[in-house]
Amino acid sequence: MTSDPHAGASSLLPGPLAGLRVLELANEKGQYCGKLMGDLGADVIKIEPPGGERTRIVGPFLNDLPHPERSLSFWHYNTSKRGITLNLRSVEGPHLFQRLVATADILLESYSPGYLPSLGLGYEELSRLNTRLIMCSLTPFGQTGPWRDYQTSDLLHLAAGGQMGCCGYDPEDVPEAPPIAPGGGNAWHMGGHFAYMSILAALCYRDVAGEGQYIDASIHEACALTTESNVPIYVYTGQGVLRHTGRAASPEKTEPTQYPTQDGGWVNITRSGFNLTPARLRKLAEWMDSYGLAEDLLEEQYQSTAAIQANTGHIAEVLHKFFTHIPLEEAWHGGQQQGLPWGGVRSMDEIIDDLHLRDRRFFVEVEHPELGRRFIYPGAPAIYSGSPWRISRRAPLIGEHNQEILCGELGLHQQELALLAEAGVI
Amino acid sequence: MTEPRALAGVRVLDFTWVRAGPWATRWLGAFGAEIIKIEWPQNLDILRGNRVTIPPGVEPGPNAPGQFADTNANKRGITLNIRTPRGLELVKRLVALSDIVIENFSSRVMQNWGLGYEVMRELRPDIIYVSMAGFGHTGRHHSYTTMGPSAQAISGMTFLSGLPGKPPAGWGWSYLDDTGGMFGAMCTLTALRHRNATGQGQHVDLSQMTAGITLTGPAFLDRTVNGRKARREGYPPGNRSVWPGAPLVNNYRGPSVAPHNAYRTRGGGYNDWCVIACFSDQEWRSLVELMGRPAWAVDTTFDSVLGRIEHQEELDEGIERWTQTLEKYALTQTCQAAGVRAMPVQSPEDRVEHDPQLRARGLYRELEHPVLGRRKVQGPPFKLSRSPAAIHRPAPLIGQHTREVLQELLDLSLEEIREGYADGTLWPPSMPVYPYLQEALQ
Repeated sequence: MTSDPHAGASSLLPGPLAGLRVLELANEKGQYCGKLMGDLGADVIKIEPPGGERTRIVGPFLNDLPHPERSLSFWHYNTSKRGITLNLRSVEGPHLFQRLVATADILLESYSPGYLPSLGLGYEELSRLNTRLIMCSLTPFGQTGPWRDYQTSDLLHLAAGGQMGCCGYDPEDVPEAPPIAPGGGNAWHMGGHFAYMSILAALCYRDVAGEGQYIDASIHEACALTTESNVPIYVYTGQGVLRHTGRAASPEKTEPTQYPTQDGGWVNITRSGFNLTPARLRKLAEWMDSYGLAEDLLEEQYQSTAAIQANTGHIAEVLHKFFTHIPLEEAWHGGQQQGLPWGGVRSMDEIIDDLHLRDRRFFVEVEHPELGRRFIYPGAPAIYSGSPWRISRRAPLIGEHNQEILCGELGLHQQELALLAEAGVI
Repeated sequence: MTEPRALAGVRVLDFTWVRAGPWATRWLGAFGAEIIKIEWPQNLDILRGNRVTIPPGVEPGPNAPGQFADTNANKRGITLNIRTPRGLELVKRLVALSDIVIENFSSRVMQNWGLGYEVMRELRPDIIYVSMAGFGHTGRHHSYTTMGPSAQAISGMTFLSGLPGKPPAGWGWSYLDDTGGMFGAMCTLTALRHRNATGQGQHVDLSQMTAGITLTGPAFLDRTVNGRKARREGYPPGNRSVWPGAPLVNNYRGPSVAPHNAYRTRGGGYNDWCVIACFSDQEWRSLVELMGRPAWAVDTTFDSVLGRIEHQEELDEGIERWTQTLEKYALTQTCQAAGVRAMPVQSPEDRVEHDPQLRARGLYRELEHPVLGRRKVQGPPFKLSRSPAAIHRPAPLIGQHTREVLQELLDLSLEEIREGYADGTLWPPSMPVYPYLQEALQ
């Protein structure tokens, strides 16, 4: 038995979704869900309009040179997929698409509600060709309701979903601060996670019942479900929440948990006084004392839970001063080594050197043969012992697999492919 | 449950606690899996102590917090002391009867109990074991522990949220507990589907912190491919795509455009805000028309996206003078009708009471809970046409189903169960036995 889960034959095993074929008709709203399936071994065929999906012109770009084959955002969200181009508004396009549908297990699409049915490619029509088909429409608001046809963006979803309502600043840090939309792209992540779950559940159902089904998934609802206790706080107590700097929004003001470090960084101690048993405080104070910065925390008076609770303000003050003498990385690793769930507010500058992540083989090299280069991508969120996660290939170039799939698998002749290209079908 | 459920017949032995793990199993339950939550009253689930969500007038206690109830719907719950030989034996018998074992303890807890993957595999050769430790089960820092806020900090997610030159605003809730839960459920479903196809179980070693890093892909590649420093001027750019005056680089919010910000709306209350984003010159021109073509907005400075980005301070001030004249839902409707991207900033109350879309879709439905009464719970965000997901069962009172589960699955006699209460296997002798438990023992 080796302690390295990657060692030996396991790296040669197929991924957990091997043998499943996914057709992806998706822009920024659905491409992440397609990546999740592709990296876990499904054969994902990305179908783009001729000339490529507009997600290819979202930066940043390789060396800042804008080009549809150089978008790092597109690269990240489209790993482990093959790509073809197909104009669904042409006469031949829908026909070729239907032939692909007959070979597919899953169709993932993020077009506006009603668009595919208007082309004769709704679930009703497609399920007649393939009763085992699982079709998931992942759209901003779902297929029904008064907002169904509204335009959105990542920012708009984070506003309506409730994320911005609980993210921001204490007035002492930024007076009159607006609600803040955290991160970028996370509305699409929230939608993608729920959509992935629903597709996998439909697969499990199909394994038993033998039939596919249609899934109507809403990104707005996925976001609205992703604010931890915010909705229960309202439902059970009628209260709203206040936005704070770097910590959970809450009905009442709470103590800060994020402190500046000696080198201009920040460390988050999770919750003021959290888990500070007398034994833990003693251990923490001994560590602080090794820098000569424990002040009075080693004194016997703090060796009771009641005393710790009564003095959280003072303990926080001593910690605050302590952190201004300690660099970011040393601060949070030190806390963890005392058994405290602290986190340094790391940027990519620190993360790319993380040795723990290296131990878990998180940094994966992906080959870009057309550039003659290999780049480091983010790796597996989870290590599967019997069916590994892997990036099987970099994002497809525009129409890269037209010949392989349309000729090699659907049996079109080379000359037909040329004609379809000239006619703007592919 | 009269409708077919996708995971009917799948049994999950659920050792999870706090938020991430229980949020995962709640959704497996929504698909119809049978969830058996294992607890021990002397090492209480932290959410059972969540005082903030105890409704006024409800006596505090482990069955009172609303956040526990919402997070743990769709499960049955038993109490069992795994640190006793008899308790461990019972758990092992349950493992043998389960398809999935899932937990979110720190990395060595299960192993130290004598319930590592190898042991469980002997009890049930095709068992699926999903562990959800902060740093995972391997790697030099596997023993590090995380809560949502620390995982968010360590994974780089906190850093990319906030205004430039200010402290990180971070995430105003434990996003990586919610999302860690999503990953836990996704890993479980993936391994289950793999088992359906191959007959093989496996151990899925999820790391909450690592999962967070995978949500920063474009920023990650900008660092590893382009070598761009994360600590730079104008980053993170608040709600904007680019901060005016800072280098014109993409900050991972999609296309770089302006306007792209939050604006105050009429009323001036804490959540009277909306967001507006124009992704094209045409969308901007439509907004100018809506605003009534004010003199500042028709200035040629704002004709191009570069001009709008460069002069964002003036642009945003001008837009906010207009948005402050409108109520946020009316503004949303007006903008959307004209093809302008706008949405209200919504509070929890807004979502539950005022959001017409969520109401039409029925996201919040009422469910009866034995202690908390009829309350709205958060429902599924997807509609499956043949095997719908549903929130069908309230969260368990602590120990509520001990007798039911042990009789049903392990065929224990009532006498044996009473013994378990007396000898500390099924309830701590030092703690009072709640009336509903005494009743169950009759």
